[in-house]
Amino acid sequence: MTTRHSTTPPAGRRPDASMTLLNEVYSSSLDEGYALAAARRAAGTGPRQYTARRAVVLVVAVGVGLASSAAAIALHQPTAAAQEARELLEKSIVERNEEAAALQEEVTALSAQLAALQAALVGSGSTALREAAAEGAVEAGQLPVTGPGLRVELADAPAADPDAGDDDARVQDVDLQIVVNGLWSSGAEAIAINGQRVTSTTAIRSAGSAVLVDLVPLSGPYRVEALGNPVDLQTGLARDTAGQLLTALRTTYGIGVDISRQDSLSLPGAGQVTLRYAVVPEDALPQELRPTPAAEPSTDAPAGDDVGSDDGTSEFSLDASARVGDAPVVAVSSGEARVAGSAQHAAAAARKPSGDVREPGEGRS
Amino acid sequence: MIAVIGLVVGVVAGLVLQPTVPAELQPYLPIAVVAALDAIFGGVRAMLDGIFDDRVFLISFLSNVIVAALIVFLGDQLGVGSQLSTAVVVVLGIRIFSNAASIRRHLFKA
Repeated sequence: MTTRHSTTPPAGRRPDASMTLLNEVYSSSLDEGYALAAARRAAGTGPRQYTARRAVVLVVAVGVGLASSAAAIALHQPTAAAQEARELLEKSIVERNEEAAALQEEVTALSAQLAALQAALVGSGSTALREAAAEGAVEAGQLPVTGPGLRVELADAPAADPDAGDDDARVQDVDLQIVVNGLWSSGAEAIAINGQRVTSTTAIRSAGSAVLVDLVPLSGPYRVEALGNPVDLQTGLARDTAGQLLTALRTTYGIGVDISRQDSLSLPGAGQVTLRYAVVPEDALPQELRPTPAAEPSTDAPAGDDVGSDDGTSEFSLDASARVGDAPVVAVSSGEARVAGSAQHAAAAARKPSGDVREPGEGRS
Repeated sequence: MIAVIGLVVGVVAGLVLQPTVPAELQPYLPIAVVAALDAIFGGVRAMLDGIFDDRVFLISFLSNVIVAALIVFLGDQLGVGSQLSTAVVVVLGIRIFSNAASIRRHLFKA
C-alpha cells in the first residue's frame, strides 16, 4: 500500500476536513460575541453600564420587537388580501343580481304598460280580439298568472357534495327538461321553475354544476310549478315518461321528489319575448329559385303592400306581442295544442304577416 | 435583560398598533423572520449558558436580519434569489436546530 491509500490522515489534517463547512455551521451556532462579552466582563474590561446606554438598548429592542411583529403580521397579509378579493367578488355578485332583479321588474312593468296600451288601441269595440291578445300573452308567458296547479319539487340527494362532482346525485338540466315537457304534455298552461317563467323560447341547460333557465342560474331545490287542473296534471305526469324518470330519480339516485297539488300558484311573467329568425340572402339562392322582378313578390303576403317591399326586413321586425296576436289559434290548453301553439309561434315568426288577421295597432310597432 | 423586556414591549405594541410594512420590503420578510428566530434562539441559549449580553443580542439580531435581507436582495438582482434564499434558510435552520438542541439539554438535561 502506498501512502496515497493510507487510511490514517496526514498529520495536521482533520479526519472530517471535507465537512468543514457543515462543522463550522454546526459548532459555531452560538454567536461568538456572547463568549467574548462574557470574557470581557469576567476580566473587568467590559464597558460600564451607563443609564444612557440602557436607554438606547431599550429603544432599539422596542423597535426590533415592533418590526418583528409587523413582519409577522405582514406575512399573514396574503390570506387577508385573498379574503378581501373574495368579499369584493361576492359584493359584486350581489350588486349585479340586484341590478338584474331591478331590470326584470322594469321589464315586467313595461310589458304591463305595453299590454295596457295594446288594449287601449284595440279599443272597447273588439272585446274578442282583446281577449284573444291577452290569452296569447298569457300563453306566451309574458304576463303573470295565478291559479290552481301542480308543484313538483326536486332536491339534490342529501349526500351530494357540491364539490365532489357526483353528477348522478344532483338534479340535472335533462331532468328538469323532461319534467317540464311532461307537464306541458299533461296540459299545463304555464310553467315556472323557481320563479323563472318557462316560455316557448326558454332554454333549460346546465353550466358546470348550476342549472340555467333562460341564462339565469338556479340552485336547488328546484320548484317546477305548473298551472292547470292539478288532478289532470298529476295523472298526466304519472303516465308520461317524466313519471318514470321521477320514480327512477327517487329510488336509484336518492333525489328528493315532492309532488303536491296547489290551490293557488302565482307565476311571474317573463316580460317581452323576442323571436329571432333567419333569412337566406337573395344572392345566396340558386339562380332558379331567385324571384324574378316581374313575378308576384310573395305568395303569402297578398295584402302586404302597406308594410313594406318584398325584401322583407321591415315587417319582420315586429315584436312578439304583435306576433302572438297574429296567431289564429290562441286558446291553447291541451298538450297537443300546446305543441301546436309553439309550432304556430315559430311558423308565425318564419312567415310574413298576412293582412287578414292583423290588429289595428300592429303596423305601428 | 432590558433588551428582552424591550423586545416584548415592542412585540405587544406591534400586535396592538398593527403597523403596515412597505410593499418594497415584503419579499425580504420571510428570510428576515428566520434570521430573527436564529438570533432569538442564540440569545436564549446564551442566557442559559449564563453569558447573555444585551448588546451582543441586539446587534446580532439586527445584523442577522439585515444581512439575510441583503443576501436575498442581491440574489434577486443577480437572478439567483431563490437559490440564495435556500442557502440562507439552510444555514440559519442548522443554527436554529443546534441552538434548540443546546437549549433542550439545558432545560431537560437530555
